[in-house]
Amino acid sequence: MTDQVEPSAPAAPKLEPDFVPEVEKPWLQTWRMFAKNRAALFGLVLLSVIVGMAVLGPTLYPADPYDIVWAPQSPPGTEGFILGTDYLGRDLLAGIIYGSRATLIVGAAAALITIVIGILVGALAGYYRGWVEELLMRITEFFQVLPPLLLAMVLVLLFSPTLVTISIAIGVVSWTATARLARAEFLRIRELEYVKGARSIGARNSRIIWLVILPNAAPPLIVSAAFAVGIAILFEAGLSFLELNDPNIMSWGYMIGSNRPYVLESWWAVTFPGIAIFLTVLAVSLIGDGLNDALNPRLRQR
Amino acid sequence: MVKFKKLATVALTATVGAMFGATMQPQTAQAAPKAGGTLVWVSSQVPRHFNPAVQSGVATMAPGAQLFGFLVRADENWNIHPYLAESWTVSDDGLTVAFKLRKGAKFHDGQEITSADVAFSVATQQANHPFKTSLGAVERVETPDPMTAVFKLKQPHPALLLALSTALAPIIPKHVYGDGQDVKKHPRNVKDLVGSGPFLLKEYKKAQHVIMLKNPNFNSSDGPYLDRIIIKIIRDASARVIAMEKKEAQIFPYMVDSKDIRRLSKSKHIKITDKGYAAIGPVTWLAFNTKDGPTADVRVRQAIAYAIDRNFIINALHGGLSKPATGPIAPGSPFYNGDVETYDFDLDKAKALLDEAGLKPGSDGMRFKLEVDHIPAVPEQQKAIAEYLRPALKKVGIAVRVRNAPDFPTWAKRISGHQFQASMDIVFNWGDPVIGVHRTYLCNNIKKGVIWSNTQQYCNPKVDSILEMAGKETDMAKRVNLYGEFQRIVADDLPLYWINIMPQRTAYHMDLGNPPTSVWGVISPMDQTYWKKQPK
Amino acid sequence: MQFLNSIGQRVLFGLVLLLAVLVLNFTLIHMAPGDPADVIAGEMGGATEEMMASIRKAYGLDRPFHEQLFSYVGKVFQGDLGYSYYFDQPVTELIFERLSATLLLVLTSLFLAIFLGTFLGVFASQNPNGMLSHFVTLLALLGYSLPVFWTGIMLLILLAAPPVDLFPIAGMYDVTKDGGTFDYILDVLHHLILPVVTLSTIYLAFYSRLSRASMLDVLGADYIRTARAKGLSERVVVYKHALRNGVLPVVTFAGLQFSQLFSGAVLVETVFSWPGLGTLAFDSIGRRDTPMLLGILFFSALIVIVANILTDISYRLIDPRIKTGMKT
Repeated sequence: MTDQVEPSAPAAPKLEPDFVPEVEKPWLQTWRMFAKNRAALFGLVLLSVIVGMAVLGPTLYPADPYDIVWAPQSPPGTEGFILGTDYLGRDLLAGIIYGSRATLIVGAAAALITIVIGILVGALAGYYRGWVEELLMRITEFFQVLPPLLLAMVLVLLFSPTLVTISIAIGVVSWTATARLARAEFLRIRELEYVKGARSIGARNSRIIWLVILPNAAPPLIVSAAFAVGIAILFEAGLSFLELNDPNIMSWGYMIGSNRPYVLESWWAVTFPGIAIFLTVLAVSLIGDGLNDALNPRLRQR
Repeated sequence: MVKFKKLATVALTATVGAMFGATMQPQTAQAAPKAGGTLVWVSSQVPRHFNPAVQSGVATMAPGAQLFGFLVRADENWNIHPYLAESWTVSDDGLTVAFKLRKGAKFHDGQEITSADVAFSVATQQANHPFKTSLGAVERVETPDPMTAVFKLKQPHPALLLALSTALAPIIPKHVYGDGQDVKKHPRNVKDLVGSGPFLLKEYKKAQHVIMLKNPNFNSSDGPYLDRIIIKIIRDASARVIAMEKKEAQIFPYMVDSKDIRRLSKSKHIKITDKGYAAIGPVTWLAFNTKDGPTADVRVRQAIAYAIDRNFIINALHGGLSKPATGPIAPGSPFYNGDVETYDFDLDKAKALLDEAGLKPGSDGMRFKLEVDHIPAVPEQQKAIAEYLRPALKKVGIAVRVRNAPDFPTWAKRISGHQFQASMDIVFNWGDPVIGVHRTYLCNNIKKGVIWSNTQQYCNPKVDSILEMAGKETDMAKRVNLYGEFQRIVADDLPLYWINIMPQRTAYHMDLGNPPTSVWGVISPMDQTYWKKQPK
Repeated sequence: MQFLNSIGQRVLFGLVLLLAVLVLNFTLIHMAPGDPADVIAGEMGGATEEMMASIRKAYGLDRPFHEQLFSYVGKVFQGDLGYSYYFDQPVTELIFERLSATLLLVLTSLFLAIFLGTFLGVFASQNPNGMLSHFVTLLALLGYSLPVFWTGIMLLILLAAPPVDLFPIAGMYDVTKDGGTFDYILDVLHHLILPVVTLSTIYLAFYSRLSRASMLDVLGADYIRTARAKGLSERVVVYKHALRNGVLPVVTFAGLQFSQLFSGAVLVETVFSWPGLGTLAFDSIGRRDTPMLLGILFFSALIVIVANILTDISYRLIDPRIKTGMKT
């Protein structure tokens, strides 16, 4: 989400440098706040490393993570396999590198679905109010009363586990919090002067919703998107732990799930993917936290 | 072979009046068993209920064998001994078997066990139990007097006594289950259970434990010895092993994971035996769809077999603890024939066969895609092998995709609906081939929607006629020949590729005397088991 | 009068919601491939065609879908959740058998997390840029970022397995131990420690964040500034004035979180073989025990809805200004 904001920035020419301080671009101000937060910066670096591994790893470490390369359950360090091998004799390092892709894709895709459904429902409910709000919020409430993991399990069971179905299942069960947040923001902002102004000059509803209100409601939604990524990755791992996954796509959750029965003999095969998940979610949460602080006006004044 | 001959001749003609159980003592038995103590038994399965007359599966059969008695019992050498029946006679034509019941044998509520109960038990089993073949040959049970039950057979049944020696044929009380309710759903399968065996059902907490107490009125001078058997239900595989290591449990039957066996064999206080599973014969195999897709071509099936390194599976994945399977009948059975094509690892042969079948490698080196299913249980025997097939078959140009089943019904629906290309599976021999083997190969057992029928849709009339003959033959040598021929034919036709026999072990505390080691293991009574020294 | 009216509306809507839950779940589960006859055949090691047909007939699975749905919904509204396919016992009975174990686990974890979390959060809020605040934030993030089942497995292996062997490995109590009620309680507590520690990590993270944020909000409010201006000590300001409002969102959330808690319970109960509803739900999925699974989903929805209505009522009683039933 933040990426979408940044590219336009360098293009903006600074014509009169002396004039800057008063109207500093909001994103720049946010970035300065963010950069002051060492934990958040650490998260950003960590996430960059993980994404870099997902993108470049296969080139730097060409291997088929499914190939049997050494004796099963070899401990870390055996014959140059620095993380050891799993119960089949597959290279764990290759699994971690290639598995990062699926894990990140599920995390991002599920978070995207969460955010899109959440914003759509929340925005329409908060903007139109009346029966639209009534109906949408009742639907939201409906999804809130069902235990998310159980519902996701049923969904995955129904459509058989693949990256797509897992992402959809996670998205479908976790959008309600975002919807409530979006609605609250829309309810607040729609009463503000500039929105009333836009309406009075006859702007179309869709324009007001997406171009006037949404950008102003963005900060908390961006933060919630960052957390949604973390939640989705943990969710995928949880489903994998219950063996609801696609064994043809290497992911960290799959590694934990399929190595779990062997954990007493080869602790490393469960521990390393667990650490990988932990670090990724940690990175995303640190970033989310940093954004939260940076975007929170009250803290900004301090 | 000798063993089984013994079973057929000695057992069928035996009129041993000896005190029941006397022959059950192992030859090396030292001191007389001591009474007392609690045995904690660890299990992963949650039983539905405890009436094995209407429910198969070890979860019910193992406690069921403690709660209910049978007419006869088997020892670890396939010999049949008296149990609730004290003697029996077989007519010359083999069509009538008359059992004399043991006097003074009572149900848990004090009512005497009579021939009417035997007839009722057999009828209930026949009407409700899935193994139609086990007592299928019994036409009716006549009751000339309360102490005599006469089995009238439609045809001679070589495995009748074996089938009567375990929880496949428990003696259940007519005065409880004959009240007109559906026995499958009878409330007293769980509550206020009235059994006929050496232990009483005390308490069942579903995800936690089963408590069984010694039956003080069990009419025997020899056991039961234990005061209490507690089955602890622990769902996590690692936790079961740790419970044994910590002595929180003292017996762990049906261990099938080599990693658990290896780990527990390192514990000083634990002994491990492979006895107690002789009658089960669990064969792990790769089943092919012989009607659809590339595997309809026998050459493709053979090529896949040649490309699989059975030694890697056995030694690397199963730690050398499983045994190779070369055909439909498990080695150890008197009918086993090892003189067949065994498809030893040979990548060149595999490639040549695939070329011959017209499946040439594409630009990516792959010839075709193969989807492999597996049962979502016993990962070492199922998932791990399916996953191994991916890199293994890649070497001959077959791109394997492992298809996960989130639960058992999903898998069963695919396989029984014939919607699959190849699938890992485990199927039990169940002692006699008539019970557990025939079903997989008979043309008339291709039944869509029924799991563990002939889901490969393999049909060879010659095989059908051999199996039909072997099912009726009472002469042991002739039966052995017929099954030998059968094994040769199916090994060539290869409707499935038999990989290994699943290892089955019982781990138990070293101070436990007479652990369950008969051919039926824990699905036979543990009235002889005792503590040599109470563990603390 | 208007009060009763709107409560009536809430209850009515609750019923509609329950109906929707029933219909959706029933439809979803019946769309999945395979049915209980397969499971029963599977655990029996095989079955004939006639047996499969008779099982399906016995459970009414041979009837058209809409008939099955109508009869199910009809029965539920008469308080009958049906019979478990697997255990052939009433679903309600089976649920109540397991409910206490889950409630013990979930409520203990929740209370631990709320108290400890609020305490840490409030502490941290007093100096938002201090060391302690950063520490709490970090601690919260650690808890939040750990996959809960993974934490459980690690604790189990490190602390319950030999050589450390400090805790029991599985279950809720040791059946082989004979002793009085007091010993039993101690034994249950001993078994409870690891699962609770595992499950509460997530909520500890959540509540410490929530209370920190909420306290920061409150501490910036006008009435707190007034209190400070009056020269009250910081301790009095924080604990007497700010705390009451600062923990309000914590309390609100706690009441509404059952469905979330239940998700965590499924994973934790699986790791620790805890005999609760979570493992029952998971097993029921594997056994395709439709009535059991539907019953659990229905039951958890019912609890959340009742909790919602109760929260609503108490809100009204406390603050008469709230007019509609909508909460944010």
